[in-house]
Amino acid sequence: MRTNWIGLYTMFRREVGRTMRVVIQTLVAPVVSAALYIFIFGTVIGGRIDDFAGVPYISFVFPGVLMLSIINASFASASSALYFMRFTRGIEEILIAPFSYIEMLVGFVGSAVVRALMVAGLILLTGVLFGAVSLVNPLGFVFYVSAISAIFALLGIIVALWAESFERLQVFNVFVITPLTYLGGIFYSITFLPDVAATITRFNPFFYFADGIRSSMIGYSEADTTIGIFIIVGLLVLLAVLVTQLFKRGWKIRS
Amino acid sequence: MLSNSILQINELTKTYGSRESIKIAVDNVSLHVKRGCFFGLLGPNGAGKSTIINSIAGITQPTSGQILVDGIDVVKDYKLARTKVGLSPQEFNVDIFSTPEQLMDYMAGYYGVKSETRKEMVNSLIGRFDLEAHRKIKFQKLSGGLKRRAMLGRALVHTPDLLILDEPTAGVDVEQRHDLWAYLKELNEGGKTIILTSHYLEEIEHLCTDIAVINHGRIVAEGTKEEFMKNGKSIEERYLEITREDNSSKK
Repeated sequence: MRTNWIGLYTMFRREVGRTMRVVIQTLVAPVVSAALYIFIFGTVIGGRIDDFAGVPYISFVFPGVLMLSIINASFASASSALYFMRFTRGIEEILIAPFSYIEMLVGFVGSAVVRALMVAGLILLTGVLFGAVSLVNPLGFVFYVSAISAIFALLGIIVALWAESFERLQVFNVFVITPLTYLGGIFYSITFLPDVAATITRFNPFFYFADGIRSSMIGYSEADTTIGIFIIVGLLVLLAVLVTQLFKRGWKIRS
Repeated sequence: MLSNSILQINELTKTYGSRESIKIAVDNVSLHVKRGCFFGLLGPNGAGKSTIINSIAGITQPTSGQILVDGIDVVKDYKLARTKVGLSPQEFNVDIFSTPEQLMDYMAGYYGVKSETRKEMVNSLIGRFDLEAHRKIKFQKLSGGLKRRAMLGRALVHTPDLLILDEPTAGVDVEQRHDLWAYLKELNEGGKTIILTSHYLEEIEHLCTDIAVINHGRIVAEGTKEEFMKNGKSIEERYLEITREDNSSKK
């Protein structure tokens, strides 16, 4: 049977509708947070710091701020949408519809990526207003932003399937995403760190996410780009296979 | 698969739980539903009706056995099989913040119905189920009867060959119930096969042409309505006889 394009488009359309239904939470809040980061790092702190890697400090930090927002938007979209569907049994609408397991995967991940890209677009606009945005490799930028959004959408799906309460939805965010993001060099260069800490940071995948986006925006990289791409694509494939298998088994969604 | 079958269930079994505390919800059930018939599936609460229905629709994964809808295996060729089935479940499995119009529109979209046809179909069903004044009201704010009608609209929006209605008139007032019966009869006379479960046995008597009774996960009686009502007995009397007899044989 052919690919259910209209069904997939409907899933995206529904997620955009859901995003707009709670626009303060989904779009306004991340933009306000990003604007505050840009103001503090760009104007308050950045004004007292020399250029770094040939760009103003805010341009160095901005990719990290963008990544933080993308990760949060993508993870929250996938995890809350799916968990809510499990909670209300609305997931049965998807289960009885003619979607293959891969289409279900594309539908959920694509919907979350759409929301993350909406957030990214608004934050880019905010960054432009503050003069914090440059883009040396637009194709690379699109790759990193889309791939990273997709990774966190997949993680959001796994957490939404695993969670048995709204509180549990937050566990992964609080204990994994937030610490690894802040320790992944989004606000600083790892050259500022002692050798041991810098070495440990190189084992943190979030460092490669931030570095990838930064390299595509300002052309400065502290990581081996090949390793970064390998990690991103590897995680993407691994998580996509895992989620497809979970959908196929009907784990926590099919009795 | 029999040539006039829209649904063929072969030795379906569904169990829940682990080996130590296994619960058999459906036990080796075989069932044949003729194309174009109005099929009543009766049984007490927990007998396995919803499990069978959910297995046909794809919400429940059968433990063993085979289900063919229009000759298509619902496990092996699940995607195609699902295009054939419309389900109005007993429980409201919806996004409660969606409106009836959105529920129908999204569901039609999931089934791949194109935009123009989708709009026509949604408008037609909203009109048919008298939901015009409520089309943009959130599902959670609708009365029980309106919710049921929205669910029926959602089940019909992709024009399925096999319509499954699990307690479709629960919470619906008498007048609306009769209106709904007339509509379901009209649909059935137009060629649509309908499977109905209901605790309102007069509903089964009024609508169904064929009936099966399930008890403790097994089919304990099956036949045409006339066969059930022979000797001048009502469906209710026959149903009670069958289930009591089966219950006492298990004691």
